[in-house]
Amino acid sequence: MATVTNWIDHLSAKEVQGAIYPGVGSEGILVILAFIIWIGWHVISAKQESEKHEKLARKRHGPNDWKSNVTDG
Amino acid sequence: MTDELGALTTIFTEFYYWITVVLMFLIHVGFCMYEVGASRYKHHQHTLMKNTMLIPLVTVTWFLFGWWIYWAFPTGPGLAPSIMNGSTALITDESTFSAKWYVPNSSLMAVNLGDHISGVFWAAFLLFSWTAASIVSGAVIERITTFAFGILAIAIGSVFWTIDAAWGWHFDGWMLKLLGYHDAYASGVIHAIAGGFALGILVVLGPRLGKFTSSGEPRNIGPRNPWLVTVGLFLIYTGFWGFYAACNIPIFNLGPEYGMEGVTYFTATNIYVTPTTLSGITFNFLMSLSGGLLAGYVISKGDPFWTYSSGLAGIICASAGNDLYHPIQSMIIGMIGVVVAYKMHYWVERKFKIDDAVGAVAVHGYAGFAGLIICGFVLNGYPSSGYSVGAMWDGATYASINPLGMFIGAIIMFFVLGMLPGWILAKILHGMGKLRIPREVEIAGMDYDIMEAARDDEKSVASSTR
Repeated sequence: MATVTNWIDHLSAKEVQGAIYPGVGSEGILVILAFIIWIGWHVISAKQESEKHEKLARKRHGPNDWKSNVTDG
Repeated sequence: MTDELGALTTIFTEFYYWITVVLMFLIHVGFCMYEVGASRYKHHQHTLMKNTMLIPLVTVTWFLFGWWIYWAFPTGPGLAPSIMNGSTALITDESTFSAKWYVPNSSLMAVNLGDHISGVFWAAFLLFSWTAASIVSGAVIERITTFAFGILAIAIGSVFWTIDAAWGWHFDGWMLKLLGYHDAYASGVIHAIAGGFALGILVVLGPRLGKFTSSGEPRNIGPRNPWLVTVGLFLIYTGFWGFYAACNIPIFNLGPEYGMEGVTYFTATNIYVTPTTLSGITFNFLMSLSGGLLAGYVISKGDPFWTYSSGLAGIICASAGNDLYHPIQSMIIGMIGVVVAYKMHYWVERKFKIDDAVGAVAVHGYAGFAGLIICGFVLNGYPSSGYSVGAMWDGATYASINPLGMFIGAIIMFFVLGMLPGWILAKILHGMGKLRIPREVEIAGMDYDIMEAARDDEKSVASSTR
């Protein structure tokens, strides 16, 4: 996984390789992972939000009911 | 990085952009404070989270495709040839500033010893993307779902604003060549488009419950915490200053760049690689801010919310030409922008029953739109670029700045890339039943459950003796 194992060897090479992160060459897989995480987040958070709203909507609170929930710190 | 002077220039440029990114972070802090201060108590925490979550969403998508769009789309595609390869296609070839280098799996999109600029430049643009999305966020508070806002934030932050930046901000953009478009500090490419996008959403989203009486008269739902709002706006001013610096190239030799044989001329440039100075834009930033504040105080009769917002509107209106204006011109233009924004806000509110909760469409959209048109007159005849100056519609060369081109540019920014996509996307989300929170939740307050839990926690702690 390590792209660099010796800085002296790396920097004294005829042509210094720029990319120094672990797993050079596996960027495509990382990008696919990022897409999955991104889309997955929308799916999960949207479901959570809908459930939360449905639960709260069922209670039918009035516009000023929230005032009884104000804490004094 | 083998000679000392070259290394110094590179590291200085890297550090310069890095600093601007840190400064611009304050814009987002300011927007969060401003929005929470403007919202009602029962919606505070959700309002904050909505704006906060645009940070990761826009960042990840900006990494995945937003940055690529900026480098690929300057030609339209199909509207004007690139000065780099002569083609009107998407710029994805081997040329130096091609989108090919900015696909997410490129080795330049990471720690790379051969590239000290891509990451900080990417981040500078990313912070502009957050701003575009955050402008929209304020307008829609207290009734949009976080899911819908997330999608819309990505759309404006990682797609539509980056298309307009490629068209009207990139040195190779087709709008510069065909129209003579000039927008140095983003009256249009960030503010008019984001204001237009917000307006498109608001048309579909509708007003907050209680905003209008049964006869259609608007009620004032003023900011619940004016201190938070005003400090937030102070922070936005501060970050905006960083934004001005981020729109410049700090040091550049224009002689060889313009093909002038034997000429060496080092200067700061704006985003179009035409000369300006940090000193000059500092004059103009502060004078347009002052013009906005002066006009805002008078027109709103000393209302703090509008006075502070007007400072911002003043800068936004003058921004298109603040690389070249005289400071007093900047001040006057800022004042005009405020009058336009304030009058338009209340006219649109009454006429179309649009509930723009924080005046975002006015401050960013109308002031930005007006700023572009004014710029077309005041800078009429200036070259829109340092490269091959030519005529309007020519395409192969760059047109000069002119009123008609700037007017068309304003229409493109506000309506074509802003309001229209905002309206279409909001319609789709509305059709899916995902745009607006349920009526019962809006009445109860989005934070009801969190507040109830906090009260229960408090009771439990207060009654404990050990």
